[in-house]
Amino acid sequence: MTEERDSQLSAMFDGELPGAECELLARRLSRDEALRAQWSRFSMIGAALRAERGVALHDRVSQRVQTAIAKEAAYGDGADTGATSSQPVPATPVSVKTASNARWARLMRPVAGASIAAGVAALSIMWMRTDVGGPDPMLASTSAEASAAESIVLTPEAAPSTLASNTPGASRAPSNGEPDVYVTPAPSTSPGIAPPARLANYVVAHSEYSGPLSRRMALLGLVAADSENATPEQAGSAQANDNADAATGAADAP
Amino acid sequence: MTVEESDLVLVKRVQRGDKSAFDLLVRKYQHKVVKLVLRYVRNPAEAEDIAQEAFIKAYRALPQFRGDSAFYTWMYRIAINTAKNSLASRDRSPIAYDLDLNDPEESHSVQTKLQDPDTPEGMALTEEIRGIVNSAIEGLPEELKTAIVLRELDGLSYEEIAAAMECPVGTVRSRIFRAREAIDKRLREVFEGGLGRTEEMV
Repeated sequence: MTEERDSQLSAMFDGELPGAECELLARRLSRDEALRAQWSRFSMIGAALRAERGVALHDRVSQRVQTAIAKEAAYGDGADTGATSSQPVPATPVSVKTASNARWARLMRPVAGASIAAGVAALSIMWMRTDVGGPDPMLASTSAEASAAESIVLTPEAAPSTLASNTPGASRAPSNGEPDVYVTPAPSTSPGIAPPARLANYVVAHSEYSGPLSRRMALLGLVAADSENATPEQAGSAQANDNADAATGAADAP
Repeated sequence: MTVEESDLVLVKRVQRGDKSAFDLLVRKYQHKVVKLVLRYVRNPAEAEDIAQEAFIKAYRALPQFRGDSAFYTWMYRIAINTAKNSLASRDRSPIAYDLDLNDPEESHSVQTKLQDPDTPEGMALTEEIRGIVNSAIEGLPEELKTAIVLRELDGLSYEEIAAAMECPVGTVRSRIFRAREAIDKRLREVFEGGLGRTEEMV
C-alpha cells in the first residue's frame, strides 16, 4: 500500500500520474509532512544528479517561502487547506495590502453575484427581443392595451379591428410607426374571455352611481350572459377583458 | 497527464486556499530557480534570497495565473525579472554595514551568508549529498540506473523512456520509483546519521 503510494508520488513528481489520482495524492500531501519531505528529497536527488550547486542548502528556500506565505491570507475560501493551515496566523500580516484586498474581495462577492444576475436578466431580455424580431414586447403590449382600452370606451366596435392587427399573421406587415409585432397570447376560442365591450361601457357608465358590490354582481351576470352568447369575433382577444378589468378597477377607485 | 497538468493540479489547490500545495511547487522547483538566478548573481546566498522573493511574488500573483503557460515557465519569468530588479536596486542602494543582529530578518541574512554554499562547510555538505546520490546510483541495477538517468538528466517522458528501453510505460514508472526509493533510503540513513551537522555547527 505504502509502496504503491510512493510509486504514485514518484509518478506525480514526473507529471506522469493520471489526473484523478494526482488530485487525490495532492490532497494527501497537504496533510502528510513525511510525504512532502519525500517529495522534497526526490527534488534533491534530481538536483544532485544534475550536479546543481548548493543542493542541500537550497532546501532552505522552501522553508523560508513557507514561513513568509504562512503570514498571508489563503486564497479562495480557505476551506481547501492542508497541514499548513494549522500554522498560526500573525496578528499583523506582512502584507496589509494583500489582507485588505482579500477583505475587499469578500465584501464585494455579493455585489458581484447581484451584478451577474442582473447581467443574465438583461441578456435574457435582449435575447427575447431578438427572438421576437421587433420592439420590446412589454412596451408593445402596454401600448396595445392602452389603445384598446381607449377604443373600447369611446368606440366599442373599433376594438376588434384594433386587436385584429395583433394577430400573428399581421405582425410581420410593415407599419407606419406602429410596432411590427405585438406579443400577445394566441386568440382564444373560449367564450369565457370574450371582449366585453358592452360590459365595460355598462360598468363605466354606472360606476358613478353604483356601489362596488352591485357593480361586481352586474359584472358577473354580464360575463355569464356573454359566455352564453359569445361569437368567434367576440372571442378575439384576452386583452379586451384585461382592459375591462382595468376599467373596473378604475371605477373602484374612490 | 503531463508535468504542466500535474503542476496545474497543485496550482488550483493553492487557488482554493491550500498553501501546502504551493510548498510542493517550491520544493519541486527551488533548485531550478536558484540555478537560474545564479546566472545573474554570483553569490549563492543572494541567489537564494532572490529565489525566495520570486516565489513569494509568484504566490501573490497566483490568483491571476490561468494556466495558459506551464507553471515553471511562468515562474521562470518571475525569477528572471526579480533577479534583474534586484541587480538594478543593488546598483542604486548603498550597502548597509550596520546590521542589527536582534532583528530576525537581518540576523537570518547574516546566518545565510555564513551558510553560503560556497563556503567550505556548504560545499562539503553539497558534495556529501552528491556523493551519496552518485554512490547509490552506481549500486543500482542497470535498468533502474538507465531509467532514472534518462528521466532526470535527459528529461525524457515515461513514454519516451519506454520506447528507448523497449518496455511498457508501467515498467518505466516502476523502475524510476525503485531507483528513487533506493537513493532516498540511502539519503535518509545519512540524514539521520548526521548529515547537516554543518548547519548545527554554524
